[in-house]
Amino acid sequence: MSEVLARLDGIERRFGSVVALDGADLILRAGEVHGLLGANGAGKTTLLNVIGGMLRPDAGTIEVGGSVVSFQTPREAWTCGIALAHQHFALVPAQSVLENLALGLARGWADPVRDVRAKALKLMDRIGLRVPLDSRVDHLGVGDKQRLEILKALLKNPRVLVLDEPTAVLAPNEISGLFALLRELAAEGRAVVLVAHKLDEVLMVADRLTVLRAGRTVLSTVPGDYEIPDLVRAMVGADPVDAIAIGVDVEPRSTKREPGESVAHLDRVSVTGGPGVDLEEVSLHVYRGQVVGVAGVEGNGQRSLALLLAGRVSATRGSVTLPEGLGFIPQDRSTEGLIAAFDLTDNVALALHRVAAYQDGPWLRWSELTRHAETIHERFEVQATSTSVLAGSLSGGNQQRVVVGRELSIATDLLIAENPTRGLDVAAAAFVHDEIRRLVATGVGVVLVSTDLDEVLALSDRVFAMTRGRLLEVDEGQRSREGVGALMLGGAFAHA
Amino acid sequence: MNEIEIALFLESGVRLGIPLALAALGETITERSGVINIGLEGSIIAGALGGAVGALAFGDPAVGVMAGALAGVAVAFVFAAFAIGLGTDQIITGTAITLGGLGLTGAVYQARFGATGTALTLPTLPSAPVPLLSDIPWIGGALFDQAPTAYVAYALAPALWYFLFRTAWGLELRAVGEAPIAAHAAGVRVRRVRFLATVFGGGLAGLAGAHLALAHAGTFAEGMSAGRGFIAIAVVVLGRWNPLLVLCAALFFGAASALQFFLQAFGFDAPYQLFLALPYVLTLAALAGWVGRSRAPAALALPWRSE
Ligand SMILES: Nc1ncnc2c1ncn2[C@@H]1O[C@H](COP(=O)(O)OP(=O)(O)OP(=O)(O)O)[C@@H](O)[C@H]1O
Ligand SMILES: [Mg+2]
Repeated sequence: MSEVLARLDGIERRFGSVVALDGADLILRAGEVHGLLGANGAGKTTLLNVIGGMLRPDAGTIEVGGSVVSFQTPREAWTCGIALAHQHFALVPAQSVLENLALGLARGWADPVRDVRAKALKLMDRIGLRVPLDSRVDHLGVGDKQRLEILKALLKNPRVLVLDEPTAVLAPNEISGLFALLRELAAEGRAVVLVAHKLDEVLMVADRLTVLRAGRTVLSTVPGDYEIPDLVRAMVGADPVDAIAIGVDVEPRSTKREPGESVAHLDRVSVTGGPGVDLEEVSLHVYRGQVVGVAGVEGNGQRSLALLLAGRVSATRGSVTLPEGLGFIPQDRSTEGLIAAFDLTDNVALALHRVAAYQDGPWLRWSELTRHAETIHERFEVQATSTSVLAGSLSGGNQQRVVVGRELSIATDLLIAENPTRGLDVAAAAFVHDEIRRLVATGVGVVLVSTDLDEVLALSDRVFAMTRGRLLEVDEGQRSREGVGALMLGGAFAHA
Repeated sequence: MNEIEIALFLESGVRLGIPLALAALGETITERSGVINIGLEGSIIAGALGGAVGALAFGDPAVGVMAGALAGVAVAFVFAAFAIGLGTDQIITGTAITLGGLGLTGAVYQARFGATGTALTLPTLPSAPVPLLSDIPWIGGALFDQAPTAYVAYALAPALWYFLFRTAWGLELRAVGEAPIAAHAAGVRVRRVRFLATVFGGGLAGLAGAHLALAHAGTFAEGMSAGRGFIAIAVVVLGRWNPLLVLCAALFFGAASALQFFLQAFGFDAPYQLFLALPYVLTLAALAGWVGRSRAPAALALPWRSE
């Protein structure tokens, strides 16, 4: 077997009373892409942060290149050839993409960005992930931030590349591009670790799999030894329920739900100056009891469309009609969905405090709000000791559950969902899909904006593609990955 | 006002602006790293006393200037040990350092020089006109016939700008002030950077204090910093955390203060409190007018430690 580049043995780590890792093992070999699997809160991010020098373990040993190491800082890990692309992006919002790439790379009195620009351009050409180098990071969408986070790790030219959920917001062609690169890197004798929740994706690229459950390594194997349902059982200790979440191909929806009355209406709406391209003369009716699915490559205006429908930006021209009971699952839970320094109850109250049922004259009904937060905590199986823990201390998937649970509960007329299952594990994604179907059955209109074509095709009654600020409806006959994919890139098969 | 009076006005505007510029340039670096040092006033007054003691002991104002800077460093070191080393609240720590600095320098002064009532006379830092530049009409005399410490401020503004925006160290410093977690992840030693930035700021504040004692007043008096530490913090905001603009903002504030004296001297008939308020009113107007769009480093005043 090939050379072991890094070996983690019996890693333990707790945060206060929460045990995040409880004897996790991981062996990374040269020439291998290693898939790290596990339910939300299993400890994947914590383990990767230990490898990357971000966190010190309470117990266990780390060996790199045959010798035992104890990283005090991320720089020490990097010196050993380890680079990490974080799930919770480690970016400086107020600085440019280029400056973010240069941070830590250049040192001393040197001009930090000069050499980096050329290197970054070369790298972007090679792997086909593009980010505008001179934009400020806080003006980027979540997809660009993700691409930047990956590029940043790659620029360090690591021997061990660690990618924590890099694919959740990438377009399908970008994912295949990234995977091709990972294979090349492995062929050069490097090791790659990759976290992803969609198993078909992981199986496409991984040479070896490790499954974490409750902070412990429960399975270490090669693909082929286990079927997908076995892996899911190892991850969540239960039987899989939803074909989309497991990532096996699903048929597009064939039976159309009957539309109810119109619940939201855009009438030749234009938006200029928003994120991505401007919206031009977009018209759309959202009907009760139906799901409108919008697919599109980031930057084509779907962000503006979602913000417009959520009432977060106003139209430059045209008219917008929106209902009262509106829920919005934004693309980035950490910047738009939650306040990290608030506890779960406060985060729930943030969205519900204007709802009459939670008001009592000038006062808020805190007991009701707390009860509501507790309901979300239970129903969505949020892994937190209580609703008074800070949102920032939850794992990524558990943060997503709080946002989704809260917004589903206030969407009595309309739900706008951007990548609602981003970061959710197999079981949670299945549950959220079921919840969306249930919500639709009660007569709520849903707009689903997602980079995940399978999700769009499986949940939607009508499918649209967004290209260069225009909304094109996909003909029934073209509702396939290929058909929609071609349309997103500006092909035919549709009418406006 | 005639020509001579205008020249006088400009000269005193610059003279009043220089200590503010020195302290504010240092604080700009400190704040860019995510630390707000409200204890700046403490460094300034310590710098004034240090300058006085050093200059008297060696009979040389240049030694005084160095002693002043060192005294400012020492005070900022205490602030940093608490606020960065132990992660105490920056506002409370800084306030304590300011009050302690004012009290302690007063006590040392009393003990060393006694409360005789006669003012201390110090060897002063003479003004050093720059050849050619000081002959420029109107502004030449005002800008280039000053104490050498003034030229330190002029030189520092572009140098610090270059450091912040054109060097890798500057990039790391700014990243630490905006997103310490991201900086840490990129391998930057967050607390070390903050420590150095704070101590550097203290050194410049000490220099400002020494300038007050040795170039401005020629004496030391208790509380002679007179709130300049706080004004310098406002000047940083007015200058949008950009050293070049901070220098301009400090000179603007100096000019506004000089204007107040001139208006009084020319016998404008109004209660003197109105004149005293003039620099602050002008500064507020400037703040409202154009600083609205800028914002402070995102992690300003937030303590940080790695896990
Ligand atoms: N800084 C922290 N403070 C407190 N608890 C934490 C902290 N970081 C992680 N945890 C807890 O540790 C456990 C593991 O979290 P981790 O982020 O490693 O999970 P994960 O496997 O990456 O999950 P996901 O798939 O949702 O990203 C969770 O219960 C989480 O709440
Ligand atoms: Mg995670």
